[in-house]
Amino acid sequence: MEGTTSESTAAISTRALTKHYGSVRALTDLTLDVNSGEIFGFLGPNGAGKSTTIRTLLGFLHATRGSATVLGLNMVSDSVEIRRRTGYLPGGIALYDSLTGEQVLDYLVEMQGREPKRRAELCDRLELAGSVLRRKVRDYSRGMRQKIGVVQALQHDPELAILDEPTEGLDPLMQQAFYAILDDLRSEGRTVFFSSHVLSEVERLCDRVAIIRAGELMAIHDVGELLARRRRRVTLRWRGAAPDPATLPGLADVHVDGSRITANLTGEVAGFVRSIASPNLEDLTIEPASLEEAFLEYYAPGDASGSEATDR
Amino acid sequence: MSWRLFAQTLRWQRVRLSVVVLAGIGWGVLMPVVYDAFSDVFRDMANSGAIPEEFLNFGSGSLFNLPGTITLGLQHPMAIAMVGIFAIGASSTSIAGERARGTLEVLLARPISRTVLYVSMSVAVLLTVLIVLLAILGGMAGGAAAIGLSDELDLGRMPLVLLNGFGLWAAFTTFGLAMSVTFDRPGPAIGLSLAWLMLHYFLEIIGSLWSDAAWTQEYSLLHHFNPGEILTGKLDPIDMVIVYAAAVIPVIYALLVFPKRDLPAPA
Repeated sequence: MEGTTSESTAAISTRALTKHYGSVRALTDLTLDVNSGEIFGFLGPNGAGKSTTIRTLLGFLHATRGSATVLGLNMVSDSVEIRRRTGYLPGGIALYDSLTGEQVLDYLVEMQGREPKRRAELCDRLELAGSVLRRKVRDYSRGMRQKIGVVQALQHDPELAILDEPTEGLDPLMQQAFYAILDDLRSEGRTVFFSSHVLSEVERLCDRVAIIRAGELMAIHDVGELLARRRRRVTLRWRGAAPDPATLPGLADVHVDGSRITANLTGEVAGFVRSIASPNLEDLTIEPASLEEAFLEYYAPGDASGSEATDR
Repeated sequence: MSWRLFAQTLRWQRVRLSVVVLAGIGWGVLMPVVYDAFSDVFRDMANSGAIPEEFLNFGSGSLFNLPGTITLGLQHPMAIAMVGIFAIGASSTSIAGERARGTLEVLLARPISRTVLYVSMSVAVLLTVLIVLLAILGGMAGGAAAIGLSDELDLGRMPLVLLNGFGLWAAFTTFGLAMSVTFDRPGPAIGLSLAWLMLHYFLEIIGSLWSDAAWTQEYSLLHHFNPGEILTGKLDPIDMVIVYAAAVIPVIYALLVFPKRDLPAPA
């Protein structure tokens, strides 16, 4: 199975993790491993079960059944030790409005019982100047609060960062700064598990991605492989009539409109380009592979089981 | 026990606590003054029948002696409001408030168990209650000394008054904390805690004003704190047992319930 490694090297390992609220199945039989040192994306729309998974791993919710280890520690019996070695950014983080940003960070790192080794660097990269940190949180914009959230999660240099939709509210510049921070964490051997419904950031950051839908794991993929496998949308325009599409290799869902052919390219790009080389070819557009198509494949109505069967 | 959380919980209350402590001292000083200035007037009014005697022996107190006046002062709605700010307000909003604001999950992302969180917050809130009681009793003792009535008070028994009073209010505080770990919003927690206090107040008052309903007082926790009797050497140890038992039961409930309950993402 592509998504499974041995538990000894896994930063997070879940086995049939399930959380039901009465008849509501928030999470069902989630089995996955997150390798140490990787950035693992947990992708799904709102209500898919991403936050439920995270909250169960951190002990906020009690699993209906199944088990999990985090950093080799039992999710239930070692919850406090797990949180000592973990940094967590909740989705839509709430902070203490009556404190300044600096007081919030001081308070939370003291509660963590660790030195804020990374705080200065993180504040610098996220453009949290001293004058900003000395302002009350109640005066912060949503983006500022999110930055404080990121800093509180990472300031003590955790071995594992669990981030629930971390870029919510960050402007594009800050998102780039945040991505760079995660890249550095990965290069230092830290593990990052983050949930998102933003495909582009998963594509940009993650080594692997799990796709979850209605509380069930649909697939776990290596992001590079997934992108390589993606169908690319191809548009060709010819001088004169278009050739017979059957003579063009690797095309599917072909649509011919006079001199114009649009299709999905399922095969290798280089071979395809060689095969169409012709003086009559006037224009060629190959749209970049996007994770969005993969995502839509898993979330197309009534098309869950097929994907699950082939990819898990 | 997390000392950092304990300190921060106290810090959240510091302004309110300062104001209430000053008010409590003032209220405490007022009781001996009222007794000194109006005791004879009230006695004459009672003797003339202008005021029913039950009104002057409101609750378990009496305006005809200083220990009884102190009892009245501690059972007066003003004193109940001052202690209740912490015993009901701070306790019931402590954890439910963090939960409603969404800050509980930021706290619980730290390496502390829910038990430690509950204990740390509880000890801090109980300390605020103790401080307010100390302020009121200190004001009463100070006021009595200032107007030369110290001989009417056995100050050596004041610690027992404090102990019994703290037990009583600890019972309401731990009830508030138990409600706080039960609900996700402070509204229901405050409402039920306040209703619990009002029920006991009603049982005590109805029993003291209406002799046919005197039996209701036995069911009121407020009835098991009678400073007047303690100060006159008539402490009933059962009172102490009852109030402390009533304080411990919600603690057991909270320690059983809070670690086991789910904390879904705040709405």
